[in-house]
Amino acid sequence: MAQTINTEVTRTDARRKVTGAAHYAADFTPAGMLHGALATSRIAVGTLTGIDTAKAEAEPGVVAVFTHANLPDYKTVKGIYSGGPGSASFWPMEGTAIKYAGQPIAYVVAETAAAARRGAQLVEASYEEGEAHIAMDPAQSFIVGAEGDGEGMTLTKGDIAAGLAEAAQSVDVEYVTPFQHHNPMEMFAATAEWRGDRLTVWMPSQSVRTLRHGISAAYGLPETAVRVISPFVGGAFGSKAGITPYTMLTIAAAKAVGAPVRLIVTRQQMYTVATFRPESVQRFRLGADASGRLTAFEHVEIAQTSQFDEVVNPGTHMTRSMYASPNIHTEQRLARSDTNSGGFMRAPNEMQTFFGLEQAMDELALKLGMDPVELRRVNDTDRHPVAGVPFSSRSLMECFDAAKASFGWADRNAEPGSMTDGDWLVGYGCATATYPTNISPSAARVRMQATGHAFVELAAHDVGTGSYTIMAQIAAARLGLPVEACDVVMGEAHLPLAPISGGSTTAASAGSAVHLACLAVGAEVARQVSAMSEGPFAGVDPAQITLEDGMLRGPGGKSQPLVEALASTPRGEATAEGQYRHPALTDEALRRTYQGGYGVAGPVTPEMAMFAFGAEFAEVRVHRWTHEIRVPRLHGAFAAGTWLNRKTAHSQLMGGMVWGIGSALLEVTELDHTRARFLNANIAEYLIPVNADVREIRVEMLEEQDDYVNPLGVKGIGELGIVGTAAAIANAIHHATGKRLRRLPMRMSDLV
Amino acid sequence: MDNFAFFRPTSVAEAIDLASGDQKRDFLAGGTTMVDLMKLAVQRPGGLVDITGIKELESYEIGPGRLRFGALARMAVVADDADLREACPALTEALWKAASPQLRNVARLGGNILQRTRCPYFRDTAYTQCNKRDPGSGCAALEGGVTSLHAILGGSEHCVAMYPGDWAQALIAFDAEVRTRGPGGSRTIPFADLHVLPGDSPEVETILEKGEIIISIEVPVVPAMRASHYLKARDRESYAFASASAAVGLELDGETVKDARIALGGVASVPWRAGAAEEVLRGRTFSEALAREAGRAAFADATPLEHSAYKIPLGADVVAGALMTAHARARAGAKGED
Ligand SMILES: Cc1cc2nc3c(=O)[nH]c(=O)nc-3n(C[C@H](O)[C@H](O)[C@H](O)COP(=O)(O)OP(=O)(O)OC[C@H]3O[C@@H](n4cnc5c(N)ncnc54)[C@H](O)[C@@H]3O)c2cc1C
Ligand code: SF4
Repeated sequence: MAQTINTEVTRTDARRKVTGAAHYAADFTPAGMLHGALATSRIAVGTLTGIDTAKAEAEPGVVAVFTHANLPDYKTVKGIYSGGPGSASFWPMEGTAIKYAGQPIAYVVAETAAAARRGAQLVEASYEEGEAHIAMDPAQSFIVGAEGDGEGMTLTKGDIAAGLAEAAQSVDVEYVTPFQHHNPMEMFAATAEWRGDRLTVWMPSQSVRTLRHGISAAYGLPETAVRVISPFVGGAFGSKAGITPYTMLTIAAAKAVGAPVRLIVTRQQMYTVATFRPESVQRFRLGADASGRLTAFEHVEIAQTSQFDEVVNPGTHMTRSMYASPNIHTEQRLARSDTNSGGFMRAPNEMQTFFGLEQAMDELALKLGMDPVELRRVNDTDRHPVAGVPFSSRSLMECFDAAKASFGWADRNAEPGSMTDGDWLVGYGCATATYPTNISPSAARVRMQATGHAFVELAAHDVGTGSYTIMAQIAAARLGLPVEACDVVMGEAHLPLAPISGGSTTAASAGSAVHLACLAVGAEVARQVSAMSEGPFAGVDPAQITLEDGMLRGPGGKSQPLVEALASTPRGEATAEGQYRHPALTDEALRRTYQGGYGVAGPVTPEMAMFAFGAEFAEVRVHRWTHEIRVPRLHGAFAAGTWLNRKTAHSQLMGGMVWGIGSALLEVTELDHTRARFLNANIAEYLIPVNADVREIRVEMLEEQDDYVNPLGVKGIGELGIVGTAAAIANAIHHATGKRLRRLPMRMSDLV
Repeated sequence: MDNFAFFRPTSVAEAIDLASGDQKRDFLAGGTTMVDLMKLAVQRPGGLVDITGIKELESYEIGPGRLRFGALARMAVVADDADLREACPALTEALWKAASPQLRNVARLGGNILQRTRCPYFRDTAYTQCNKRDPGSGCAALEGGVTSLHAILGGSEHCVAMYPGDWAQALIAFDAEVRTRGPGGSRTIPFADLHVLPGDSPEVETILEKGEIIISIEVPVVPAMRASHYLKARDRESYAFASASAAVGLELDGETVKDARIALGGVASVPWRAGAAEEVLRGRTFSEALAREAGRAAFADATPLEHSAYKIPLGADVVAGALMTAHARARAGAKGED
């Protein structure tokens, strides 16, 4: 059997995707379906004093116009930051309150999508307008989680003042990151069909179980009465995780009109009806002795949140896991403004905090007169700086050394502004990347057939990352089948539990469940063949039979391919489920996951700290006349346990780095402070990198063995690639120009 | 989008007929501005007169004394023309650096010069104040809005929308003319007169009359064209409007500047010829310092808005950088002739 793990395998769904044969949620059209459209609020804060739907209702093709006044059976759920499945705690169209611009105020149902949108444009609203602020005021921030409350949100170890006092050099700096939106290529969409008390929802989702659990609870239905279908997802990045008003409104509208309804949210509305990356301020105080060893590490993160939720993505937990320091203080703070609630966006805790930390380290290295790579080396640690437990594996400096060599760091003249090429100033910079290894519980069912085929079933999702392919690879490796013979079924809530596709959990957690399910199939076949009257395993104690890479092996060197053994049984088919749970996972986290929530073991367990690491190196060029900033080269080396699929893993890491270029130089949701609105809610003016912005990207994938994280030795990599990119680019800009840019995105207007 | 009537004339006369008169009808070329704004409900024509069936307007000629571009020539086709690239690199570079390949394949030159502002308040009807979209309603940009994309030259207290196009800068730098035909007959308009300053009626953007169609755009050939350059500064390498740009051309006599052409993009309310900067150069010996002086002169009269002050130093550097390239081209051309 050819090796299927740690090889390059082309996506099993690639052909279907490029030929249009892959059906995304909005491609399903139940018979008699009508179309929905949202009308949204012009103002950000205030009260709806009137809403005139007459013109919309008179529009040809319009079937119904719903507002807060006439939508029966509209249900809501608790927000995620209050322990519920909703994307936010505030639900528009329950009343007349307006809490953010672009909040839904009416839902139009029509015979065509065009008529629905026209109807939505014809809805006329009047408001009593209140004062609104779209941006947070950091001076008004408040602390989340008091010191010593057990949660560890705020934390002090040692004495920062003493650490700073004994430092030979220190930095005290502040970095600012903006609101950003995910902008997945596939639009938000929901289709709802009621048949009596049974409901089917088609919707691109990072968590079909969350949807089903929340919707069935809201309507008082058994979970068996609700189907949620999301076979393919055209990018999510955190934006398709929670239950949003547009989904619950579509479900209610379908019920009210007595026909299936599909809503496709417009690109502009996607900026306000779901989540985003909140803006933030990152404050660092670092002190080091003359050899570069940190004597003090302080990080205060202030993040934006809405008026109705406390959106905490504790980035300080990640930064304080990074470098050894005897004195550590971290603080998580929030400041409110008048927006919908933010949420997670690819590397939600890490992108903005490492933009800060890894620049602060660079600034410190300059003050110390040290090579920035060496500063990381002297502060590398094999024990978690706060918890004191060892890292299950940590290849940070191996990554630095590999990337440093491939990049040609030795050619760098450390003097800022010293390197040029024609009209270009040239700079080199580097930064650390890390991502926690979050391990969810997961289940999977495998049904193997004597023909040499297997179904692999689990409620995981392929958000474009290649999950279908790696699940097939794992099954193929264990069962001894070709990858193509393993048919993976995912994206439906009635399948065995798999985690939310978030926090880079799927490969490690759901993959482990598939692995266990395959071993269970082996055990089931072993039981059957041992009970038979003939064959190599007849009469052998099934407990003595093991499955290794598609071979059943027993005492005395007996062995037989699994598929042959299965063919010899009368059923010719074996089904088994695998239930994976990391030993450090608490009962509470297990329960939470089965109730549609996010429950993980790690990254720090009582025994170990589990993180993936990387190092990123950037070459930046700044044009002498236009001041344009370009990134001709980006090299990253990463270590994250076992690589399941070298091709899709490479794509994930490279994709993260591409996104990092965007975060560094282009991406920002602009704010109109006067009207408290997002200004550039379209992908012509919200800039993301185009092909021409992405030149050479080299990704090195180091080998690393980690037997603690899970049976496959896999760490998540979906978000790792983006983490160090913006800081590496910022450090390179400083090296090229001598200017330190501490605010994202970094643009030519900062350099004139 | 509202419903609208759709017409496909095959002759200029028929097109003029359909678009004249009382009905709210507009011409449609590639549609990349028009349909975009209709989807946003910013433009709501009752009828569209699709002129792409008038094949005679697609041709163009790169003549020895005159360049002539039919109004329906495609951006992508003209951008790729090797003769034009030699005759006037600024004209091909300005097209190449505009929009994306997909848009350039669809969009036509007549539509290109008439593209409308990217002012976000104009493009989003949720903002109730926009004098351009709704005369007399105010200006959201000037009243506490974000002005980083707005004009620092040519704006008024009623509107500071920026003209976003690239090609128009190369045209205005070289004294292009626009040939039109309308219900009142044919005329030739100096390109510099086509667009009008916002003043107190920003809803009026050109001197074209209802039903008046652009037939062609013509440019007299001058020596400064050969040593011309279009330099566009933008945060994104491609598919982005200019933060600042310059179309320049130089004619040298030895190192003395005989003729200089400078136009500015990304900074003004209409296509913008920088006459004062040209004057700085004429008759003087070219140097980097002189190029910088010209760059500064181009923005001497600029009025920075709250968020667009960066455009003054940026624009000055872009002009200087463009002149350096034009100068190198002029030198290379002179060597070629020796
Ligand atoms: C995302 C995006 C990015 C862009 N980036 C750039 C850029 O970087 N630089 C740049 O320069 N441009 C850019 N553009 C603008 C683009 O170049 C213009 O939209 C395009 O050139 C318009 O040509 P069209 O044929 O599609 O015009 P249409 O949309 O068909 O017409 C535009 C206008 O011209 C009128 N019109 C058209 N032809 C005639 C005629 N012959 N006579 C009289 N009136 C006529 C129409 O009535 C309409 O009012 C961008 C556009 C988009 C959507
Ligand atoms: S600058 Fe002009 S286009 Fe923009 S909002 Fe003001 S009036 Fe409207």
